[in-house]
Amino acid sequence: MIMSSESLEKKLEKWRKLEEEAREIRRREANWDFIEKQPPRLKAALKYYIEFGDIRTAAKIAGLAIDEFRMLLLSAGIPTVV
Amino acid sequence: MSVMSNKIEKMRILDLEAKEIRRREANWEFIEKQPPRLKAALKYYVETGDLYVASRIAGMTIEEFNILRIKANIPNVV
Amino acid sequence: MSDFAIADTCFLIDWSLWKKRDIIFQIFKTIFVPEAILNEVKSEGVISWIAEALAQGKLSLFTETSEILEEARSLIERSRMTPGIRGVDLPEAICLVVGKRRGYMVLTENRGALMIVNLFEEFSNVKVWRALEVIAEAIRRGILQTPHIENIFMEYEVETKHRFPRVDLDNVIRKLREEAREVA
Repeated sequence: MIMSSESLEKKLEKWRKLEEEAREIRRREANWDFIEKQPPRLKAALKYYIEFGDIRTAAKIAGLAIDEFRMLLLSAGIPTVV
Repeated sequence: MSVMSNKIEKMRILDLEAKEIRRREANWEFIEKQPPRLKAALKYYVETGDLYVASRIAGMTIEEFNILRIKANIPNVV
Repeated sequence: MSDFAIADTCFLIDWSLWKKRDIIFQIFKTIFVPEAILNEVKSEGVISWIAEALAQGKLSLFTETSEILEEARSLIERSRMTPGIRGVDLPEAICLVVGKRRGYMVLTENRGALMIVNLFEEFSNVKVWRALEVIAEAIRRGILQTPHIENIFMEYEVETKHRFPRVDLDNVIRKLREEAREVA
């Protein structure tokens, strides 16, 4: 069961703002030079991650394990924001 | 010392002896050449003798890991 | 607070990048790791840390029962059916279900997991910590000591390239300072 729709709306709005802030941080800190030089799959995965912050899906796009993709994020200067 | 403590101490000594045997007989050159997951699993097995968890670390079935353990010359000490 | 915790993939991977990572073993008697997580980890640094900690009994493998898997799958479906909620995947869902059933602290860096605890009533009692809360607890217990609390969090951010949300970080630091003043 989910809580009442009013409190749910407020909470969802709070989460939406947190997501937006996180996306801004990822975009701002990313090394775009590095990203653009990557092979297509990795580039797509890094850009996906910047937009959505979903590491598992991004790792699958990249064809990497999650920890391998995490190392790639480090190289690309992209922080995780949670 | 209670009966329980005596038994635990005896098992601890047997465990240590088994670990020593596994460490001594393992083919460390073979182990170090393995990819990260298999290397970690073999080292875990040398330390603990726990085939099930080692196979999970390796991402293998128990049978598959058992074959790897034999290739790495690590004895099963029971 | 439970002596036990259960950790998901994202938490373990991020945490393993920090050179002070072993302090977590002074907070929990044992940290459980769902088996599903082992399939998601391949790199040497992370897997060797996990394997060593398993060998030392600081981490322990958690084998999911069919009941837990069923409830976890149901949670995944519900998370993906609810608009606005980020869906969770199996490892996080398992951690949340175990946290609910057994009262373990759930260690996660997954926003979907945090949202579920915040929004789904039946999971509202599940205790969830990120690295932020783990570090705060370590400071509270004196495991990590420093005259400048914020430096420890900054060190974590730099070493792991993980950013704490500013509002949450400020709240945690303010609370730690208040607690320190009360003790003094």
